[in-house]
Amino acid sequence: MTSDAPRGVDAPPELVQLLTPEGERVEHPDYDIELTDEEVRSLYRDLVLVRRIDLEAVALQRQGELGIWASLLGQEAAQIGSGRALTDADMAFPTYREHGVAWCRDVDPVRLLGLFRGVNHGGWDPAEHNFHLYTIVIGSQTLHAVGYAMGIQRDGAEAATIAYFGDGATSQGDVNESFIWASVFNAPVVFFCQNNQWAISEPLEKQSKIPLYKRASGFGFPGVRVDGNDVFACLAVTRKALQNAREGQGPTLIEAFTYRMGAHTTSDDPTRYRVADELEAWKLKDPIERLKAYLFKNQLADQEFFDKVDAEADALGKDVRRRCLELPDPEPEALFQHVYAAQHSLLDEERDQYLTYLAGFER
Amino acid sequence: MTTLTLAKALNEGLRRSMEDDSKVLVMGEDVGKLGGVFRVTDGLQKDFGEDRVIDTPLAESGIIGTAIGLALRGYRPVCEIQFDGFVFPAVNQIITQLAKMPLRSLGALKLPVVVRIPCGGGIGAVEHHSESPEAYFTHTAGLRVVACSNPADGYSMIQEAIRADDPIIFFEPKRRYWDKSEVDLTATGLPLDQARVARPGADITLLAYGPMVKTCLEAAAAAAEDSRDIEVIDLRSLNPLDMGVVAESVKRTGRCVVVHEAPVFTGFGAELAARITEQCFYHLESPVLRVGGFSTPYPPSRLEEYYLPDLDRVLDAVDRAFTY
Amino acid sequence: MLREFKLPDVGEGLTEAEIVKWHVAEGESVRINQTIVEIETAKAVVELPCPFEGIVAALMVTEGQTVDVGAPIIAVRTEEEAGGSPEDLVPNPPAEGAVEPGIHGSPAPKQERKPVLVGYGVMASSTKRRPRKSATEAATVAPAVVPAVVPAPAAPAPVVTAPAQTAVRVSVLAKPPVRKLAKDLGVDLATVEGTGPQGSITRDDVQSAVGSPAPGQATGQAVPLRQAAPGREERIPVRGVRKATAQAMVASAFTAPHVTEFLQVDVTETMAAVRRLRQMPDFAEVKVSPLLLVARALLTAVRRHPMANSTWTDEAIIVRHYVNLGIAAATDRGLIVPNIKDAHALSLPELAVALNDLTERARSGKATPAELTGGTITITNVGVFGIDAGTPILNPGEAAILALGQIRDMPWVVDGQLAVRKVTTLALSFDHRLIDGEIGSYILRDIGAMLEDPLKMLAWG
Repeated sequence: MTSDAPRGVDAPPELVQLLTPEGERVEHPDYDIELTDEEVRSLYRDLVLVRRIDLEAVALQRQGELGIWASLLGQEAAQIGSGRALTDADMAFPTYREHGVAWCRDVDPVRLLGLFRGVNHGGWDPAEHNFHLYTIVIGSQTLHAVGYAMGIQRDGAEAATIAYFGDGATSQGDVNESFIWASVFNAPVVFFCQNNQWAISEPLEKQSKIPLYKRASGFGFPGVRVDGNDVFACLAVTRKALQNAREGQGPTLIEAFTYRMGAHTTSDDPTRYRVADELEAWKLKDPIERLKAYLFKNQLADQEFFDKVDAEADALGKDVRRRCLELPDPEPEALFQHVYAAQHSLLDEERDQYLTYLAGFER
Repeated sequence: MTTLTLAKALNEGLRRSMEDDSKVLVMGEDVGKLGGVFRVTDGLQKDFGEDRVIDTPLAESGIIGTAIGLALRGYRPVCEIQFDGFVFPAVNQIITQLAKMPLRSLGALKLPVVVRIPCGGGIGAVEHHSESPEAYFTHTAGLRVVACSNPADGYSMIQEAIRADDPIIFFEPKRRYWDKSEVDLTATGLPLDQARVARPGADITLLAYGPMVKTCLEAAAAAAEDSRDIEVIDLRSLNPLDMGVVAESVKRTGRCVVVHEAPVFTGFGAELAARITEQCFYHLESPVLRVGGFSTPYPPSRLEEYYLPDLDRVLDAVDRAFTY
Repeated sequence: MLREFKLPDVGEGLTEAEIVKWHVAEGESVRINQTIVEIETAKAVVELPCPFEGIVAALMVTEGQTVDVGAPIIAVRTEEEAGGSPEDLVPNPPAEGAVEPGIHGSPAPKQERKPVLVGYGVMASSTKRRPRKSATEAATVAPAVVPAVVPAPAAPAPVVTAPAQTAVRVSVLAKPPVRKLAKDLGVDLATVEGTGPQGSITRDDVQSAVGSPAPGQATGQAVPLRQAAPGREERIPVRGVRKATAQAMVASAFTAPHVTEFLQVDVTETMAAVRRLRQMPDFAEVKVSPLLLVARALLTAVRRHPMANSTWTDEAIIVRHYVNLGIAAATDRGLIVPNIKDAHALSLPELAVALNDLTERARSGKATPAELTGGTITITNVGVFGIDAGTPILNPGEAAILALGQIRDMPWVVDGQLAVRKVTTLALSFDHRLIDGEIGSYILRDIGAMLEDPLKMLAWG
C-alpha cells in the first residue's frame, strides 16, 4: 500500500549526475559535458527566466487572467537541459507543461498563454519552431513523435524527435505502443520522461513497480535515469541520446528524476495528498540554486551578473503580464474557422444562421 | 430533507451503495486519497479502505478493462473517468467488451459496471474537459445511458445504477456539481429509466437532460413572464428512452424543442425528433426543433458562451416553433 | 485610482475562505505579485499575489474573518489616472443574472466565476432574455430560413399528396393536424386556398371550405366560437359549415329561378312494398326504408324526363346521362349533401346498400370529398323532421330537388269510400331555365304515380 513517507528524497542509485545539489561538479563514466563559461551563464539565465515566466503565469491565474496554468516549478533544469540539446532540425513533442522547452525553441511565452487563457487551443505554428502544440490528452503525443520520426527516416534527414511525457503517462496504452513502434522500426526518437513523482494525487508506485528507465529494456532499447534537477546532466544525456537517434541507433528512454514543486495545475491542492517534509526536502535540490552556487564558487559570475539576470526576469515578467492582458478575445466568427481544410456547407450555414441570430440582439 | 450539492449527493449515494453491498468498488484516477478532482468520492477510501476505493494507474482503457474482469469475478465496480474528453482510450473496452459480453455469453455473464463520467461544458476549461459524448454510447446496444441533472436524482440514480445488472454509462453534469437543492435521503426516487416532467406546461415541450435541464427551467421561467407556458421534461434515461412521457407531452402541447450541449448534427436530439415525428405526427403543429452545439470541436473557453445553448437560444427556438 | 482586489476562489469550487494572515499593512507600498495575504480553504493555505502596484489604501477584512469569494479584501491606490486604465485586473461582477458576452478586446471574462481544477469556473447563467432589436429591425436580419441547423433546401417542402381518394394535381402545404382535419371532413386540400405561412392551408381555411370544426380541436390560438355579449344579444361568428352552406344557398337561390310544385300521394302501396322487400333475402343485410323507393322513383322519372338531370351554363345546357343522386343529410355538424355515383345503374339492393352507407358515413362525418361533389339531382327528406312539405332550394348546378315529407295516416278516398291511408306530400323545386311548368309537373306526377303504385317503377324502368 502507499506510504506517506517523503518520496524520492534520497538520490536513487544509477542516476546520472554531473552537478550536485550543492553546486559541485562531479564525474560520470558515461557522460560528460564541456561548456564555455558563457554557455554556463546562459544556462543559468535560461533557468531563471523560465521560472519567472512560470511564476508570473501562476499569479496571472490567481488574478483571473488565465483560466488555468500548469506550473513547471522545479522542473526547469530537465526542460532547459534537454531543450538546449536539440538542434534546429529536431522536432519536439511536448505535453502541456514544457514551457522551458518552448523557451528553448524560441516560442514567445505569450503564445503559450493563449491556450491557458482560453482564447485558442494552441497559439503557435509547430513548423515555425519545430515544437508541436501542447497535447492535453495524456500520452497521445508519443505516438505522434514516433510517426514523425518514421517520416524523418524516410526523408533520410539528419534529425530526431523528442517526445516529452510524465511518470503518469507511462501507464497509458498509447505510450507503451509508441515504445513498441519506436523499437521495432528503430525510429530516431528520444523519449524524455520527467518523473516528477506525482500524477495529480497519485504517486509513482501507482504507475510502476520498477524504476521507469528500466521499462525500456522490456521493449528492447536503452533507458537511462538522470538527475532531472541537474541541467548539465540533462543536457549531456539528451545530447548523446539525440545523437544516437540521428545516427540510426534507434530510441532511448531518458527518465529525468525531478519533482513537481507546485500543484498539478493552479487549482489543485497538493496538501491533500503530499506531506510538507517532502517539499522541504526537494527545495534543497533546487535546480537554479545549485547552478548559482556553482557559478559563484567557480567565479564564473558575480553579484552584478545575478542582479542583471533578476532584473531581466522582472522585466520579462512585466512584459508577459502586459501582453497577456492585451490578448484579444476571439470573435464569435472564430468558432467556425479552421474546422476543416475544405469548405463545408453545413458549417457555412450554421455560421450564417448564428451570426444573423446574434445580430438580432440589442447592443 | 437535507440541502446538498450534486457532488455531495452523489457522494452520499455512493456511500450508501457501498454500505449496502460489500461487492461495490470505486475505481479511477485520484478517486481515493484525493477524493476525486470534484470530490465526488471524498472520504470513501478512508471509510472503506484501499481495497474497495482504488487509485488506478493513469490508463482509462485499463480502468474499464480491469473493471470488466472484476465484474466477472462477482464485484460491482463503479468506474470514474476523470473527464468526458478522456473516455476515448476506454471506448474500445466499453464498446467491444462491456456492451457485448452479456449477449456473447447468451446471458450467462452479467456486467454490473457503472462508468461515471463528468460531462459537459460551461466551466471555462481547456480542451477535452467540456465534451458531451453521450451519442456514441446511446448508439451502442448493450449499454444503458443515463444522465442526472440535480442533487435528488444524483443521489437516487447512482444507487439504482449500481444495483442494476447492466453496464451503465452515468453522466454527471460537471457545471452543476455545486448546485444545491433539497434531497430526501430516505427516498428511493423515480425509477432509473423514467423521464420526469420537471415543469408542467401547456404550450410547448422542451426535452433536455443533464446540464441543460436547468437551462431549460430558467428559460421556462423567463418565458412565463411573456405568458408562454413551457413544459420541461428531464429525460434522465437516454437509453432506454421513456417515450411514453415524451409522447404524452408532445401530443398535448403539439410542439417540441430538444436541447443538448452536444452538436446538433447526428446528436441525440435527432433520435428524439425522428421518434416524435413518427409517434405524434398528427399532433405536431411544428417540426421538432433542436438546439445544441455547432458542428465544430468544442471551442476555447473564451468562445464557450457562444457555443453552448443558453436561455436566449432556447427561447429563440421556442419562438421559431410558433411561426409554423 | 483606487483598485479593489476581490477574493478569488483558488480552485476547489469553494464559496469562502478564511483570512489567515495579512502580509501588508495600510500605507505600505506593494508591487505586482507581492504576496499580500494568506487565506485558508479547507485545510489548504494559499498565498495571494497582489494584482496591482501602489499604496495599500485599506485592508477590508480582518485576520480570522471568513470571507465570501468575490468580496473585496484590499484596496490599493495605484498611480493610474482614474478611468484612464482600460483594464480591470479583477473582473467586475455583472449585475445579478445578467450575462455579458465576451466583449472584443476585453482582457478578462466578464462573468465572475469560481475556478475549478481545469478552468475559469462555472459560467453564470442568465435568467432573463437578452433584449432583441425591434421587429422592424429584426425583420431585416431575421434568418432567411426558419428551420435551424439542419440544411433546409431552398425548394419548397416535398410534395405530400392528399389521401388516395382524391387526385391531387398540385402540391399542397398543410401541417399534419390540418391534413387530418381535412381528411376527416372530406375536404379536398387541392381545392382550398391557403392563407397560412408560405401559402399553407390553415384550420380556418379547411373549415371555410365545407368542413366542420371537430369538437375540442386545439388551435394554436384558441378563439372561442361564441363571444358572449352580456345581456340581450349573442354574436356567433360565421365560419365553417354555416358559412359554406350560406354561400351555396345564396348562389343557388339568386341565380336559378326556382319554382316549387306540390303533390300529395297515397303511399300505402309503397309502404307495403317496403315491408315485403324487407322479408326478401336480397335485402336481409340492408335497411329498407321508403326513401329507397322514393329514390328509385326519382331515378326512373329522370329517365323519362332527362332535363331533370341537367345543368345550366351560360354557354350550354348540359344534360347528363348518369345520375349522381344526392341525399341531403342533416348532421350535428351541419347540412351536407353526399351523393351516390351512377345511382341510375344500381340495382335495387345495390341502391339500398349505397343509401345505407351514405347516410351512415354522413352521420359520422366520414363522407369523402368525392362523395360531396359532383351530384346531379337531390332528394331532401324533410319528413324526418315531422314536416309535410317545403320549398327546397336547389343544390347549385342542379336542375331539380325533391323534398319528401312525412308519411302519416290521413283520410283518403279509395274507390269512392273514405279510408285511412299512408299519405305523404312531395315537393319538387326546379330551375325554370331548364324545366318549365309542364315538364316539372310531369316529373312530379310520375314520381307520385310510382309511389302510388310501385309496380309502375317496374313498368317504366
